[in-house]
Amino acid sequence: MAAAEVLQGTQKLQSDTRPESRSLRRDAMRRLIKNRLSLAGLVVVCLFLFAAIFGPLLAPYDFLAQEIGGALQPPSSEHWLGTDALGRDIFSRLLYGARTAALIAFTTTLVSLLIGITIGLASGYLGSRIDASLMWLTDVTMSLPGILLAMLVNTSLKYPFASWFEDMYEKTRNPFFLNTWWLDFVLVFGALALISWPTYARLIRGQVFSIGESMYVESARASGADTRRIMMHHLIPNAIGPVIVAVTQGMGAAILLESSLSFLGIGIQPPNASWGSMLSDSLTLWRSYPHLLVGPSITIAVISIAFVYLGDGLNDALNPRQWR
Amino acid sequence: MAERPLLAHGIGGEMLAYLLIRAFRWATGLLLIMFLTYTMMYYGAGDPVKRMFLDTSDIGVDALTLERIRERYGLNDPLLQQFGNYLNRLAHGDLGTSIREQRPVADMVRATLPISLQLGAAATVISTLFGVPLGVLAALRHNRRTDFTIVGIVVVSNAVPVFVTGPLLMLLLVVVLDLMAVPWGWNGLFSTTAILPVIVLALGPLPIIVRQTRAAVLEVIHEEYIRTARAKGLPEFQVVTRHMLRPVLTPVATSVGLVLVTLINGAIFVEFIFGIPGFGGLTLEGLQQVDYPVIMATVVIGALIVMVGNFLVDLLYPLLDPRITDRR
Repeated sequence: MAAAEVLQGTQKLQSDTRPESRSLRRDAMRRLIKNRLSLAGLVVVCLFLFAAIFGPLLAPYDFLAQEIGGALQPPSSEHWLGTDALGRDIFSRLLYGARTAALIAFTTTLVSLLIGITIGLASGYLGSRIDASLMWLTDVTMSLPGILLAMLVNTSLKYPFASWFEDMYEKTRNPFFLNTWWLDFVLVFGALALISWPTYARLIRGQVFSIGESMYVESARASGADTRRIMMHHLIPNAIGPVIVAVTQGMGAAILLESSLSFLGIGIQPPNASWGSMLSDSLTLWRSYPHLLVGPSITIAVISIAFVYLGDGLNDALNPRQWR
Repeated sequence: MAERPLLAHGIGGEMLAYLLIRAFRWATGLLLIMFLTYTMMYYGAGDPVKRMFLDTSDIGVDALTLERIRERYGLNDPLLQQFGNYLNRLAHGDLGTSIREQRPVADMVRATLPISLQLGAAATVISTLFGVPLGVLAALRHNRRTDFTIVGIVVVSNAVPVFVTGPLLMLLLVVVLDLMAVPWGWNGLFSTTAILPVIVLALGPLPIIVRQTRAAVLEVIHEEYIRTARAKGLPEFQVVTRHMLRPVLTPVATSVGLVLVTLINGAIFVEFIFGIPGFGGLTLEGLQQVDYPVIMATVVIGALIVMVGNFLVDLLYPLLDPRITDRR
C-alpha cells in the first residue's frame, strides 16, 4: 500500500475525531441517534410517555363516559377510532391505557430493580454458597413461563389483600379502605416485580464479578483510591450501561406482561382502562366490528417493538465493547 | 447411530456424576416450585370450603357440616403436613378433586393435555421447518439485505405478543382476505380450525430457533472443513446439509427448555383466543376461579414438562457433541 494512502487514512481518521467534546454520554447519544430504528423507537417511547402524562388533557372524551345509543360506532371524525360496546371513545381509552401501562412499567421496574440489585450484590459479595443457592432460585423461577408465575402470584395475593382491606375498614371505618380500584394495581405491581427481579439480579451479579475483578479497578486500588472513589469513578460508570439497557427492555416487558394479565382477565379489572382488557373485550365482537380490535392491538404491537429497538440501540450505544 | 459415541466412550464415573447432579438439580427445582405454589395457595386461595359453596351459599350450610368437610379434606392440618400429604397422594397418581367442578383433576388433565401436546408438537415441527432454513439463510447472507430482513422479522415477531398476532391474523384471514371461517374450538389437529392456532403458537419458538441456527452457522462458516468441502467441489446444498447443519443441531436442541416455556406460555393465550379446550385453557380457568387443586396440578405438570425437557437436553448434550465428554 502506498505511503500516501496510509497518510490519507490517518488524516481521515483525524478528521473523524476532530476536537469536539466526547463524553461518554454524548458519544452514546450520537450513536443512538445514528441508528434510525432506535431513533424511531425513542420517538415512539417519548410519545407514549407524553400520552401517559398528559393523556387526560389530550383525550377528546372521558374514558368512562358512555354515549347513550352510540355504542359500536365505526371510526369517524368525532370518534377517531370508534366507540366500544358501551359507547366509550376508544381513542380516549387508549390514552388512559397508556397511563395504566406507564404507571405499572415504572413501578414494577423500580421495585424489581431494587430487589435485583440487593440480591445480585448479595450474590456477588457474600461467598459462593449463598451465590449458588440464589442463582439456583433464579434458575428455577426462570424455568417457568413468566405469565404463569405472574398469574399465580396475582391470584394468591388477591384474597389476602382484599380481606385485609375489609378488616381495616371494619376497624377504622375509614372510607379509604372501601375504595379498592387501585388494589388491582398493587396486585399487578407485586406479581410483576416478583417475577422480573431474576433478570436484574443476574445482571448485577455478573457486573460485580467482571468489573470488581478487572484490571483498572485493581490498579485504581493500588494507586491508593478509596472505596468511594472507586465506586463513583469506576464501578458505577462501567456498570450503568447494561443496567440502563436492561431497564429499558424490562419496562417494555412489564408493559407487555400487564396487558397479558389484563387480557386474561386477571390484571386490571374492567372500569379501569388497560390495553389488554380492551383487546379481550373485543374478542367476542370483532367479526362484526373489526375496528374494536385494531386500535388496542396495533398500539400494543407498536409500543413493544419500539421498546425492543430502543433497547437494542441503547445496547449498541452504551456497551461499546460489544461493537460488531 | 447415536449409541456409538456413547459406547466408544463408555459411561464413565464422571459422566454419571454429571447426570446425577443435573437430575438432582432439576428434581429439587421442581420440589421448590411445588412447595412455593402450595404455600401461595395455602395462604392466598382463601377458604376452599367456603369457595366450594360460593354458588350455593343461599341453601345455608351449617358450621358443623363445614367443619366436617374441612376435616375430611385435612384442611385443618398445618402447612407442612398438608404439603406432605399432597406429595404422598401425588406419588400415587392422585391430583386431587376440583373444588369448582367436583371431579378428579386427573380426569380434567387427561381430557385436555393431549390436545395441547398435539398443538405444541405441530407448532414445534413448523417452527423448526421454517426456523432452521431461515437461520441458515441469514447466516449465509451475513450482514446483507436478506440477513437484515430475516433478523428484523425475528425481532418483530419476538416483540409482538401472541395475543396481538392471534387476533390480527384472524382479522386478516377472516375479514380482510375472507379465506376462512372464524376458527373456534377443537376438531382435531388436521382440521381447518387448527391451522391458525398452530401458526400463532409456532411464532413463539420461531425467533429462538432462527437466532440459535444463525449464530451456530456463523460460528462454523469459516471453519477449515467447510472450506475443504467447498474445495473438493461439493454443491453448496450438500455443504450446507451435510457439513454445516450437523454442529447446528446442538445449540438448537439445547434451546428445548426455552422453546417449551414459550409453548406453554403461548398455549394459555392461543387456547383462550381460539376457544380450544386444552391444557392452557385449564390452567387459565383454574387461576381465574382460584380452584387450587387445578392450579397445583397445572403448575406441577407445566414445570415437569419444562424440567424433563431440560434434563433430556442434559442427557442428549454429550451425545450430540462428543467434545463435552472428550474434554474432561
